[in-house]
Amino acid sequence: MIKEIFIQDKRPHESGAKHVSGYANYTDDISEPEGTLYGAIGWAKKSHAIIKKIDLKNVIKSEGVVAVVTSKDIPGRNDVGPVYDGDPIFPKKKVEYFGQPLFAVAAKSTELARKAVLKAKISYKTLKPIIKIKDALKKKSFVLKAQTIKKGDPVKGIREAVNSLKGEFTTGSQEHFALEGQVAFVIPQEDNDFKVYSSTQHPSETQQIIAKMLGQKSNTITVLVRRIGGGFGGKETQSFIFAAVCTLLAKKTKFPVKLRMDRDDDIIITGKRHDFYSEYEVGYDELGVIEGLKIKLASRCGISPDLSGAINARALLHIDNAYFLANVSVENYLCKTNTSSSTAFRGFGGNQGMMVIENIIDNIARSLKKDPSEIRRRNFYQKEKKNITHYGMKIEDNIIHEIFDSLISSSNYKSRQLNIKKFNLENKYLKKGIAITPVKFGISFTTLHLNQAGALVHIYYNDGSVHVNTGAVEMGQGTYTKIAQLAANELGLPFNKIKVSATRTDKVPNTSASAASSTTDLNGAAALNAIHKIKKNLASFVQRKYKMKNGEAIYEKGLVKFKGKSFRFSSLIKEAYLNRVSLSSSGFYTTPKIHFNKKKFLGRPFLYFCYGAAVSEVLIDTLTGENKILRVDIIHDAGRAINPAIELGQIEGGFVQGAGWLTMEEVNWKSNGQLITHSPSTYKIPAVNDMPEKFNVEIYKYGKNKENVVNKSKTTGEPPLMNAMSVFFAIKDAIASVDDYNTTPIISAPATPEKILMSIKKLERNHEK
Amino acid sequence: MTSNIIKFIHEDRIIEVRNPDPSETLLNFVRTELRKTGTKEGCAEGGCGACTVVLGELKNNQINYIAVNSCIMFLPALQGKQLILVEDLISENGSLHPVQQAMVNYHGSQCGFCTPGFVMSLFSMFKNHGRFKDEVIKDSIAGNLCRCTGYQPIIKAARSLNNRNKIDHFTRNKQSIIALLKKINNKSIAIYKKDKKYFAPRYIQELKKILKKNIDSHLLSGGTDLSLIVTKERKDINSVIYMNSIEELNYIKNNGEYIEVGSTTPLIKFENYIQKYYPDFTAVLKRYGSQQIRNVCTIAGNIATASPIGDTLPILLSLDAKVVLKSIKKTKIISLNDFFIDYRKTKLKKGQFIDSVRIPLFPKNIFKAYKISKRFDDDISSVCASFNLEIINEKVKNIKIAYGGMASIPKRAKYCEKILLNSSITEPIINKAKEALEKDFKPISDMRASRKYRMEVAKNLLRKCFLEITQKKLIRVMD
Repeated sequence: MIKEIFIQDKRPHESGAKHVSGYANYTDDISEPEGTLYGAIGWAKKSHAIIKKIDLKNVIKSEGVVAVVTSKDIPGRNDVGPVYDGDPIFPKKKVEYFGQPLFAVAAKSTELARKAVLKAKISYKTLKPIIKIKDALKKKSFVLKAQTIKKGDPVKGIREAVNSLKGEFTTGSQEHFALEGQVAFVIPQEDNDFKVYSSTQHPSETQQIIAKMLGQKSNTITVLVRRIGGGFGGKETQSFIFAAVCTLLAKKTKFPVKLRMDRDDDIIITGKRHDFYSEYEVGYDELGVIEGLKIKLASRCGISPDLSGAINARALLHIDNAYFLANVSVENYLCKTNTSSSTAFRGFGGNQGMMVIENIIDNIARSLKKDPSEIRRRNFYQKEKKNITHYGMKIEDNIIHEIFDSLISSSNYKSRQLNIKKFNLENKYLKKGIAITPVKFGISFTTLHLNQAGALVHIYYNDGSVHVNTGAVEMGQGTYTKIAQLAANELGLPFNKIKVSATRTDKVPNTSASAASSTTDLNGAAALNAIHKIKKNLASFVQRKYKMKNGEAIYEKGLVKFKGKSFRFSSLIKEAYLNRVSLSSSGFYTTPKIHFNKKKFLGRPFLYFCYGAAVSEVLIDTLTGENKILRVDIIHDAGRAINPAIELGQIEGGFVQGAGWLTMEEVNWKSNGQLITHSPSTYKIPAVNDMPEKFNVEIYKYGKNKENVVNKSKTTGEPPLMNAMSVFFAIKDAIASVDDYNTTPIISAPATPEKILMSIKKLERNHEK
Repeated sequence: MTSNIIKFIHEDRIIEVRNPDPSETLLNFVRTELRKTGTKEGCAEGGCGACTVVLGELKNNQINYIAVNSCIMFLPALQGKQLILVEDLISENGSLHPVQQAMVNYHGSQCGFCTPGFVMSLFSMFKNHGRFKDEVIKDSIAGNLCRCTGYQPIIKAARSLNNRNKIDHFTRNKQSIIALLKKINNKSIAIYKKDKKYFAPRYIQELKKILKKNIDSHLLSGGTDLSLIVTKERKDINSVIYMNSIEELNYIKNNGEYIEVGSTTPLIKFENYIQKYYPDFTAVLKRYGSQQIRNVCTIAGNIATASPIGDTLPILLSLDAKVVLKSIKKTKIISLNDFFIDYRKTKLKKGQFIDSVRIPLFPKNIFKAYKISKRFDDDISSVCASFNLEIINEKVKNIKIAYGGMASIPKRAKYCEKILLNSSITEPIINKAKEALEKDFKPISDMRASRKYRMEVAKNLLRKCFLEITQKKLIRVMD
């Protein structure tokens, strides 16, 4: 048996030196051929209306304009919807949201193109829009059929419980705000082929959508992505329309076209995180153990299904977070609204579902006047019993108790809680709060067939350097670095012998999106599979030539050690080449064990779970609602981390992004559906002073994936975001202190200064009574 | 003598741009003409810092390295300066600059798109400060947004610079750059390009002449708001007079009675000066905008823009500031209280310019200012409040209260002041004064806050002000 070598190497990001010196190229930085044109999109200024006339005379006449495209220029499918139709590139008859693209221009410069689109005259017959979730529920306006999940008898559970509570809760939307906005750059090739550079998390689907739009075969479209400047789910499907429109402009003009979206247009046109509204009824015993739970869960999906089905399914699958629910039912409504189509965003509905249960548990604890941490712990899944989820999956890798308990102790939660209560007694206007929340997040695409990946590995004979290509998109998560680390380790080579090259549809086909936190798990494994195949070629060559029985070898420190004979890696490669051995291979991987019946909501949708917990302490000003995160302690499970430095970056960054979602980031629409938060001046993502003053983040020391995942690691893509739930509940705890913890504060996310102040006002009124 | 050639230093040599489009942004020029793509566009409104570049400015035979948002700076503003881009930080032998190396070592980049901007902000810090305390670090990067890291590794990278040798290739080349800067730093600029005009006079006399002939010109003093007409509204500005080359207007004077601030004085200079007189003024100014913004924007610009949410305005109103307006022949001194007429309308007439702002000193007074916004850094206030009063024999005297974000113009709270004047500070009086704010203001709801919240906070800030006075301590979330 060959010993397994685990990697744990904190090396910097493979592009670190290029990032800091400005030489890392993004789509907008690729050098442009002579004659390149620049695009801009004209969009609707109504949220629901019949298009009477689109008059583009002045657009065409505008300085520098070379071509205009409308729905009439689309030869094939006029839709970029990933699963279902509903996302027209340019709608023909009806506008369904404020900001919906209607036409595009190509001009001599980006500035001229953007000026030109403003000159369109469009007449509409205005219809009444549906903007809010509650209005959609009332009017039964849905993008897909309602889903329900049920286990046990929640009605009975609630009825027979000694305590019960009812309430409602919402979490807000969130704009992705990747620092690199949406951009595509398309170069026409011979035979009507197109080379498409797109800032996308999903090159393969970009390729298919463009092919369908043009009525051409997929083999005529090549999509390339070296890196993107942040994705967070906002470029999983929302990048498609820009790549499609850009290709349409290139087809019409026969010139290269670049379409780089202005930040405001980008935010106005693209979809965001689903905001969720929930109503719940819960029954629980005197110790706070949940005995029955009924939830109605509705999300704002915007105009089309997009990925809303899977996102809402993930919300249902995470309605338990880390808690065992014996009797539970969730009815889930996918509301159709006249807003941009809500889409993937780190957490993908999981975090929205988890916030619902966390708020319920917090309310149970407050109603029993208990420390919420105790009630949380008491409801946790157990190891031997109480370990079956509401969708019938047995949890085999539960480490939430270990993480939770060690965090309680390392963060001094108990003593700090006492100090905070003392502080609150002594201070009338400034109040502190503290909370600990757990995270359990399931890993795998819930759509089974997406759990596959391919790779292509070449070893060059003259110097033994290695070229690795996979379907993974590098978006800052460090997947190229980690895949190169895996490859280097597998071949026993130094890191600098490995090159991971730009992801492109003509090297590795039929890839899944870089999403669902699975990118390195899937693509790393596929790369290793390709390497194994090459190793097999080498082994049989060595066995043949040197007449060995045993082909097993250890690849280590540039050497390949067979039993009885050792080679330098580069010499072996050269020798193999001269003996006509293939040094190139494709690789493939499919996630084992998973299965899921979507109709019955039963099965094992996840290969494994990621765990984490966070303690947050906040300070709020009860006169203004201003707040500050004073201290955060996190312990997060990364399995056996391939690159602890990269995982730490994901954990910290995910937390701050989650804190933004739950505190300051607020997406606002006017009642007519016009988005009014569409630039950094109106939409605020966390800046440096929003970081916790003290920020202690630890990767769980004993982490090791029970499942057979690369390096026994666990992903850190999405799960750390949910550690930020502790911030919201710490704020709620601080608010509760205003009324000496006698009343449960009513507050929804995001807890903006305004919401905090209004929640305090309600409590003060109680207090005065 | 005027010229239509913009001269600046880049890569240790003089670059000349003949008769450029005066409303081309510096960012666009860098990316398309210089073909350096390290500098990124993130928002085109100075709100994310991805486009940060550093300008070397000659001051007293030294070079100041100021970080600016290239996306909202027009190209001609380069005149007489050294342009430093992220690519230029690498030394000739190809090694990374200490700031760049620290960012790599501490994993300060993930997707990398915001990274060049952070590097440039930190570079400016590295050059302008001796020690990098957390306060200095955070202030330096508060205008740079990162969506990936959560900032911790970037702060660690910046802290590590304390242990680095401060000599870099800019130190070594300094004398030759100073010599070059001296060569090019002496021309007034006049550009006529199609139907666009651009002037950058160097003296007040010149300014007056230009203004007389071009009475419809936009006066640009910083331009962090004006530039958005081009980058956001996609309109042309046909005639611009760039004030910031007029060194005569870049000053702070103090005659013991009032402080006079010349109209091209950058806010960052003023915020340091005013600290010892009105510390709360400085505290609000630090949050007025990022360093990139405060390096170029001016108080005069904030006044002329007359936004109801301009952060200096309620403060200046409560301090009873005066504006010195000049035209060709006349000088007029007008109280700021009378200056704002309506939403973004002022008494500044065509042919007039703001020469300076006079801020009275009230050594015996209590002065407090508060800015409330969703985000601490670089956000537009929902409400900004400023209180200036004296307490004589336990009675409130000489009280001036002003609010921003509460009306279509920044405005004094006259009814409220009336209740408090000559009263002692008691709960009933404060409550009455709070109620009076409802007579003073009818705020609106928008994306930043609802009308209800604005009114509630306005009242509570009044309360907070008097709580802080009576309890003799600050009650604030951020210290």
